[in-house]
Amino acid sequence: MKNKLFEKYFVFSPYFWLVLFFFIPLAIIFKISVSVSEWGMPPYQDIFLFDNGFEINTTFENYIYIFSDYYYIGSFVNSLILALISTFCCLLIGFPLAFYIATSNIRLRNILLVLVVIPFWSSFLLRVYAWKIILQNNGILNVILLNLGITSEPLQLLYNQYAVIMGIVYTYLPLMILPLYGYLNKFDLNLIEASKDLGLNRIKTFFKVILPLSVPGIVAGSLLVFIPVVGEFIIPEMLGGSDRLYYGKILWEEFFVNRNWPGASALAFSGIIILVLPIVIFQILYSRWSQKNEI
Amino acid sequence: MDNNFLVIENISKSFGDNKVLENINLNISKSEFFGLLGSSGSGKTTLLRILGGFEKPDTGRVILDGTDITNLEPFDRPLNYMFQSYALFPHLNVFNNLAFGIKENFTQKEIEINVRNIAELLSIEHLLNRRIKQLSGGEQQRVALGRCLIKKPKLLLLDEPLAALDKKLRSKTQLELTTLQKKLKITFVFVTHDQEEAMSLSDRMAIMKNGLILECSSPEEIYENPKSLYTANFIGIANIIEIYKKDENFYSDDLDINFKLNKELKKTQTKILLRPEKIKIQSINNLKTSLFNSFSGEILEKSYLGSFTRYEIKINKTIISVLDQNFNSNSNYNFPKGEKVICSWESESIKILED
Repeated sequence: MKNKLFEKYFVFSPYFWLVLFFFIPLAIIFKISVSVSEWGMPPYQDIFLFDNGFEINTTFENYIYIFSDYYYIGSFVNSLILALISTFCCLLIGFPLAFYIATSNIRLRNILLVLVVIPFWSSFLLRVYAWKIILQNNGILNVILLNLGITSEPLQLLYNQYAVIMGIVYTYLPLMILPLYGYLNKFDLNLIEASKDLGLNRIKTFFKVILPLSVPGIVAGSLLVFIPVVGEFIIPEMLGGSDRLYYGKILWEEFFVNRNWPGASALAFSGIIILVLPIVIFQILYSRWSQKNEI
Repeated sequence: MDNNFLVIENISKSFGDNKVLENINLNISKSEFFGLLGSSGSGKTTLLRILGGFEKPDTGRVILDGTDITNLEPFDRPLNYMFQSYALFPHLNVFNNLAFGIKENFTQKEIEINVRNIAELLSIEHLLNRRIKQLSGGEQQRVALGRCLIKKPKLLLLDEPLAALDKKLRSKTQLELTTLQKKLKITFVFVTHDQEEAMSLSDRMAIMKNGLILECSSPEEIYENPKSLYTANFIGIANIIEIYKKDENFYSDDLDINFKLNKELKKTQTKILLRPEKIKIQSINNLKTSLFNSFSGEILEKSYLGSFTRYEIKINKTIISVLDQNFNSNSNYNFPKGEKVICSWESESIKILED
């Protein structure tokens, strides 16, 4: 009996974790997002007032405020586009790599997997900073280009959206490769040979056999990259320029610079809903689809 | 008959230091059902994969119907390969698996007709809308076969075509496969480690060992007149006896008896093969041992196999296997253990092994 209880507790402990560190903070954010802002500490009013009996003191002003200003919506759209492009680039680079790793012999496979994971052992900040050093005007890349005579003056490689995309792809690539590898690892290579045997060349085999059978891995890897990139703050901040504003940056400013906690909370909460709802719907549809297709 | 439909010429292949195939030469006729038999590691699957185009040989050529296909990609070869695991596409249903190889060059209507025809031929019409996971092993085997045959290949390669089936289904499918092959007149080359399967399917078969072809002949010839010790042991049950010339006759130390051969032998010492079903077993009361080609021994072990009884008979220090057909109820199938019996054989049944 005691053991049963322990088992139950053990099995459900991830849910406790989720409730404690996800749903409760989310509820708090929602609470702040509907409260009235004021100067003070904390910079918002309580939502339950007991001054003259019981009174609920909420407002949707914050939501109206952020949705009526293109500054916020635009930055969110920028982040979505950034995440889409980065995810696609990660997929483009990650898929052949993952496939190569999954189909190479066991010794090479282990070495390659370690190489994929190794960057995680150093600080994320340091790695992004290293790119700054590589890309800056008197950085390694420009020095090489100048010495080779390819360019006559240093290129402005840093502080634009391409640097941001590059930094994100570099940082998030393992998150794409690992789930893809996990899936492709189980891929029956005979299927590729069978397809070729039945007359399909390499390209057709890729689109008719390899790609459709890799969908679950592609979905897992893409979600793992896409979701965190939307809220990514540090990489655009360090490598990006001022020409383009991203969601993470706006959130930071709203919270720490403008001290508009209700506004920032409304922004955060809307972001989560806008991101999570489509993904939940997608997951439901997708699991139905894959059940039907038995992949 | 066109003896040079498929010509395999001087094929060698190594993986690193490991020599898998050494100088393989084979000629296979049109419409022949040809078996490659060998234990694992004999190189048989590598040879089949070279024919399929999945491996490139280090040396040698493969010529199919007059065309050198050695350097063609699998998708350019006019042949098909049936995988041991069947390699059916799990994301497609049976219809689309069958249609997979013809979708490119045919109209929707032609595809429909071709798939129906092949499904009818293999009696899988009722399965066309099923998914691969919903099929039994036997049904999957048919779909895999159909997926190849729909392309009307000049040559069909089959890797252990029946290995994944249970025993009962296997013998039924064996029969169907031979009937189908004779009907379609497509050249079949298959690989197996199962000697019974090789014997029952093949018109001719090759015995492979360590990357070499030891023998290549009809199943009857290989069973009755094997050239090598390995083949004799590999196919069926074999009593191998070492004999040497003593006076005018040949004598075996192990059995302490004389052998009379029906042909001249130049060597003074050799190994001979005596198949267990060629040995006649009789009660000791009926007969005395003759001078040649017979011995008396004691039944050590017997196993009743229905149509046959297998006896292990001890003579001196050697044990000889004998298969005795159970003709009728008062036949001699019920020799008890420990009984002394007389075994004898015709001198034609003694096969001299070359090495």
